[in-house]
Amino acid sequence: MTVATAPPIVVVRRRIAASAAELFEAWLDPAALAHWMRPETIQRTTARVDARVGGRYEVIMEVDTRVIPHRGEYLMIDPPRRLVFTWNSPYTGERDTLVAVDFLAAGPDTEIVVTHQQLPEAELAAHERGWTSALEKLAAYHGGR
Amino acid sequence: MADDGVLTSPAYRRIFTHMGEYKAARMDRVFSALGDPTRRAILARLATEDARVTDLAAGFAISLNSVSKHIRALERAGLLRRRVVGREHLLSLQPEPLADAAAWIDHYRRFWDGRLAALEAYVLEKKRKRQ
Repeated sequence: MTVATAPPIVVVRRRIAASAAELFEAWLDPAALAHWMRPETIQRTTARVDARVGGRYEVIMEVDTRVIPHRGEYLMIDPPRRLVFTWNSPYTGERDTLVAVDFLAAGPDTEIVVTHQQLPEAELAAHERGWTSALEKLAAYHGGR
Repeated sequence: MADDGVLTSPAYRRIFTHMGEYKAARMDRVFSALGDPTRRAILARLATEDARVTDLAAGFAISLNSVSKHIRALERAGLLRRRVVGREHLLSLQPEPLADAAAWIDHYRRFWDGRLAALEAYVLEKKRKRQ
């Protein structure tokens, strides 16, 4: 039997022959997003962006009469290095997930690394803190074992 | 392109659009349960054979209480089942919830692969037009 022992995180990388600044801009420009945030079966994408920390975005994909909204909030905007936002759609069960995009210089090119995880970072950190604190207490209780 | 049909494929619609509240909550617990190396090690161990709680705990450098806590988190996520045989608690792996997690990962891997390819095409086309 195969068991997934890796953390439940999606990591996708791509090296692109453009500067980090050009690529970063394409993530926050609604006109650019409408072009490339359009999977092949989608006929039309419209995007709205409030590009500041705490601002929200909306990427609406349309196929036939079906409308698939993707929404979220920007948690970090650090041009041209890192972009972090929540991601909520029918495909996440309409719950917030977390996407981090890193733009790494690779000679004249840029490597883009997209990391998508199921739980918002705050929640993950809270989980980890909870466990760490519980384990510390247990260790103290068991004489520092 | 690799992501063709990802967003509208019936499999994902089944998993995500019709995902009941119960299932969504369970998937949260699955992801949370998998986000810890000890718990992943417990699952890997149980993938080969069922184990008693005491035997399982002996394989980890943390206390029995800590291991019990991890086991309870895995139980809540539906990833393992506990049977009480006499005084022993026997644990076995329940892999079904992992399938939902795997589908989620596969969906987004394909989605982002496709989006980054489209981003490349868009940016390069824009550069070409400027030159």
